[in-house]
Amino acid sequence: MTRVRLVVLVAVVVVLLATGAWWWSGGGRSGADPQSAARTALPDLTPASGPPTLESLETVAPAPGQVVQAAGPFDDRFRLSGLRFDGRTLTGTATVTSDVSEILELEAVAGFYDRDGRLLGTARDVYHLDESAGGHAEHEGTPDERHPIRITVPAPLRGQAVAAAVGIPVLVNE
Amino acid sequence: MPGRRRVAVAAVASVAVLAASTVVGVDAAQAAAGSRAKNVIYLLGDGMGRSHVTAARERYYGAAGELAMEKLPVVGQVRTYAVQKNSGQPGDPDFAPNYVTDSASAATAWSSGVKTYNAALGVDAKGAVVPTVMELAHDAGYRTGNVSTAEITDATPAGQMSHVLARGCQGPTYSAASCQDTDITGDALPTSDIRVTPVADQIARNGTADVILGGGLSRFDAADERALLRQGYDVLGSPADQQVATRADLRGARGRKVFGLFNKGNLTIEKFKRENSTAPEAAEPSLAEMTRKAITLLDRPARRKTGFYLQVEGALIDKRSHANDAAQTLEETKAFDDAVAAARDFAQRDGNTLVIVTADHECAGFNIIEKGTFTNAEAATPPANADSGNPANSSTPARGATSKDPARSTGPVNGSGSGDARNFAPATFRTVDDPASVTDGTPEASLWLTYLSGNHTGADVPVFAYGPGSTRVGAEIENTDLFDVVTRALRLDR
Repeated sequence: MTRVRLVVLVAVVVVLLATGAWWWSGGGRSGADPQSAARTALPDLTPASGPPTLESLETVAPAPGQVVQAAGPFDDRFRLSGLRFDGRTLTGTATVTSDVSEILELEAVAGFYDRDGRLLGTARDVYHLDESAGGHAEHEGTPDERHPIRITVPAPLRGQAVAAAVGIPVLVNE
Repeated sequence: MPGRRRVAVAAVASVAVLAASTVVGVDAAQAAAGSRAKNVIYLLGDGMGRSHVTAARERYYGAAGELAMEKLPVVGQVRTYAVQKNSGQPGDPDFAPNYVTDSASAATAWSSGVKTYNAALGVDAKGAVVPTVMELAHDAGYRTGNVSTAEITDATPAGQMSHVLARGCQGPTYSAASCQDTDITGDALPTSDIRVTPVADQIARNGTADVILGGGLSRFDAADERALLRQGYDVLGSPADQQVATRADLRGARGRKVFGLFNKGNLTIEKFKRENSTAPEAAEPSLAEMTRKAITLLDRPARRKTGFYLQVEGALIDKRSHANDAAQTLEETKAFDDAVAAARDFAQRDGNTLVIVTADHECAGFNIIEKGTFTNAEAATPPANADSGNPANSSTPARGATSKDPARSTGPVNGSGSGDARNFAPATFRTVDDPASVTDGTPEASLWLTYLSGNHTGADVPVFAYGPGSTRVGAEIENTDLFDVVTRALRLDR
């Protein structure tokens, strides 16, 4: 190998090393917009079109005077007690049995049924804790695990609804 | 000079210039190499204040012992305050602090480098989406992982993988009450907006983390499973069938992208698993097991560069502190520390990994009181100002001598006073410093632990670190500074 070829070879190696060091140090990406890294579009997701509900409300058929529990995604996290339905209002208590720091969200959905067990319509009880509004102050100390449920039959269904079912599609505790 | 020789001299001169410039560049890189890492493992003890660390050390290793996190060479402390809705950032004219943070605003602080309001994830205090470290790392070609003992949609893990106005918007379904916040946006946002899209839907579709291990299977459904499979994840268990993954599933995982949730809700506390070894929950992996596996799955060549960013959360420290359950708080702190040891062991072998261990906030005012003493909560009156007659110490009020109120202090809450719901007495624990005859829940036990409340406090939290760039946390820092430390270490800050 001639001296010139040797020098050229060394020069090529040096250039390659310099390029590698520049790339390793991030030189190839210096113009990237950090904001673009945030994932703000999910093209294969169909956006929600209404309030949350429970498919199980379509399949239960409570007998007149009965209140039953409708299956939901969080049934292993709470216990319903004292369920009553007087034809106008469904009442009861949901006691959250999973690890509770604070109940943040709880939404109970009731289905109301006629004498033949047909679903007439639904109504809901919605609880939301606004942390920034100082909602904690109402019950300083260890948070309460019980949530009272009270859901009134929608006016158009009064007189027709003779049975009810209730379930919980939304439950979040810290 | 003959032509050939001139060419040779010119070539040598060019090489010399190139070599010199390269040496300068390499020197600069070497100078910076002390702060740049190939990998970052960020471990977070939710609710873990300084007293949690001290109490766990004394419980398991004695007063002169050390937790794994305490063996890390760099120590600092972190300010945790949040801000109010629509606040500016510190220094802005409209800056409005909130002295006690929640896990969501804290997670956004270190994930995205901005102070935000309690409940916000991946958005600033005015609702603008801000990118996260994990998104930036993933975009830059790093492999990424997110591990938690909480539901993976819970605030800490979600802070790296989602953008929502309210952390209650977890899924599986959208609800206006849990997802919208018109105090921030004015009018309700369309449900196609990412900021009101349930966290579970985002995690299952955005591919931000290559390895996702934790709890919260109930948040995911069949559509989420299909989305994960389309992206190439190995899905352990099944969201569609609501079948949780197991430790055995985790051990067998080999994929480049792995999604495994081991409980429908939060993972199970270590104490229950230890005492119920045949229960289904005992098949859940520990945080240390998940951490070791995540490291193994992530520590392989990536698209453009070798390296990874892994976040690990010990979530149940906070959840048991809210419940003032000192026994389980201690055990969960130890379980978290075992995960720290796993990360530290890898970092020591690797030689180019930054390990950061910290907390999002303190929880419940956990305290160590002197054996045989009592707290204000147990007292008939608060401590007397015995010097109130001295002009130099004459602040009021002056109270009479204090004494223990027998109705409020009926013995250790994990011992003779355990059946009394109105008992404010401490929980007492034996340590390795105690004689073998001493048991938990007795006055003879040397570690006396109390709680101030059932909620978060505004205390600063500790930070421990090891590896390249770790010295940057050895000071009094803001939680938002942790974003800068990690992005600089991974060269994401340009």
